[in-house]
Amino acid sequence: MSAEGGIDWIGWLSAASAVAAAGVLGMHLVRRPPLSGERGRNTKLWLLLGLGVFPITSAGTANVAGFAATQSRTFCGSCHVMEPHAEDSNDPRSQSLAAIHARNTSFGKDNCYACHKDYGMYGYVLTKAGGMRHVYLYLTEYHDMPLEESKHDIRILRPLPNANCMACHTTTAPRWLSIGDHASSLEAVRSGTVSCASAGCHGYAHPMTKLGKELDAGAAH
Amino acid sequence: MKIAEAWARVKAVRTETLVRAACVLGLVALPFMVTSVFVPTVWPVLVALSFGQALGTLSFALYLVAIARDLQLARRLRSRDAKDDAR
Ligand code: HEC
Ligand code: HEC
Ligand code: HEC
Repeated sequence: MSAEGGIDWIGWLSAASAVAAAGVLGMHLVRRPPLSGERGRNTKLWLLLGLGVFPITSAGTANVAGFAATQSRTFCGSCHVMEPHAEDSNDPRSQSLAAIHARNTSFGKDNCYACHKDYGMYGYVLTKAGGMRHVYLYLTEYHDMPLEESKHDIRILRPLPNANCMACHTTTAPRWLSIGDHASSLEAVRSGTVSCASAGCHGYAHPMTKLGKELDAGAAH
Repeated sequence: MKIAEAWARVKAVRTETLVRAACVLGLVALPFMVTSVFVPTVWPVLVALSFGQALGTLSFALYLVAIARDLQLARRLRSRDAKDDAR
């Protein structure tokens, strides 16, 4: 959402609410108004704004912006071991399957998410087991790993389900079905026994992380 | 036993102190939330969703405790007044 296009209104609303809350809280700490008596009621109402309404607005909108941010390529690329993938997608001349999916105006900025939807790092999931495992592994094992090594060390845990591709490529369009290989392997594609991103089909989505032999095996024909 | 002791200690804290603590917690939590909006990369977002969120919630909870206490006190004073009037 706010990745490359700057901060959108949700982000500004979050910032403005935070500033308003900070103003109220700062005033309270400095001026120490009474909490009881006639003036106490006013104080408590101000605090309701400063501790309740404004911060909740700020946190709520920051969450919305944060959830959207976790879907962006900028976010995925914020760990150096993901940079080869992110940079390839940023390259307008790259012909990799992943990069081809990075130029669309509606989901291009979120292309990692478009294919890796089932990956455990989106929204609050980031703070749960799936996401934290990743962060933990990053901090413990991969933090100082040179890219030359990580590129060939990191591999997808489970083959990417075809269902992820089929969210957009339904396999029902006539032009799609008219391709010989699609028609002949239709059942295998739909049931996932043959991966769309496999050797002989569309090949690797990220060929730049594959070495010679591996690359040949995955090359599209 | 330990819990009861801890609770007694919490109850002994003055409402003013409770509210000031809530303000400080709020002031600490807010920058984390805002940073995550302006720098939407993994660490700021992760810290905001966990640490920032927790501090902010705690801050609001302290405020609610303070208000709940205040209402209790008000009710007690009122019932005492009522008794005084009856006398
Ligand atoms: C905290 C740093 C960090 C961030 C941010 C990050 N990754 Fe990773 N990623 C890693 C590390 C470290 C590994 C290798 C360890 C492993 O297998 O989990 C990895 C492995 C992977 C894998 C292969 C392993 C698997 O789970 O199948 C995929 C796919 C992946 N990342 C996708 C993404 C996507 C998509 C994003 C953006 C939502 C992302 N990563 C953001 C650090 C990160
Ligand atoms: C979010 C929707 C979406 C997902 C998910 C998606 N695609 Fe695509 N795909 C598109 C769109 C849109 C295009 C057309 C791109 C263009 O015109 O720039 C496209 C284009 C392609 C092409 C044509 C490339 C070319 O050179 O002409 C292939 C092949 C392809 N996708 C395969 C896949 C595979 C395999 C997957 C799963 C790993 C996948 N897609 C997942 C939307 C998607
Ligand atoms: C077109 C769908 C698609 C897109 C877009 C995509 N991936 Fe992948 N990703 C795959 C597939 C399929 C694999 C399995 C290995 C392969 O094909 O290269 C994979 C594998 C990976 C792996 C495992 C290591 C490796 O290189 O094989 C990582 C890490 C990864 N992707 C991260 C990302 C990141 C980060 C982005 C965004 C910049 C991204 N992916 C965008 C489909 C996609």
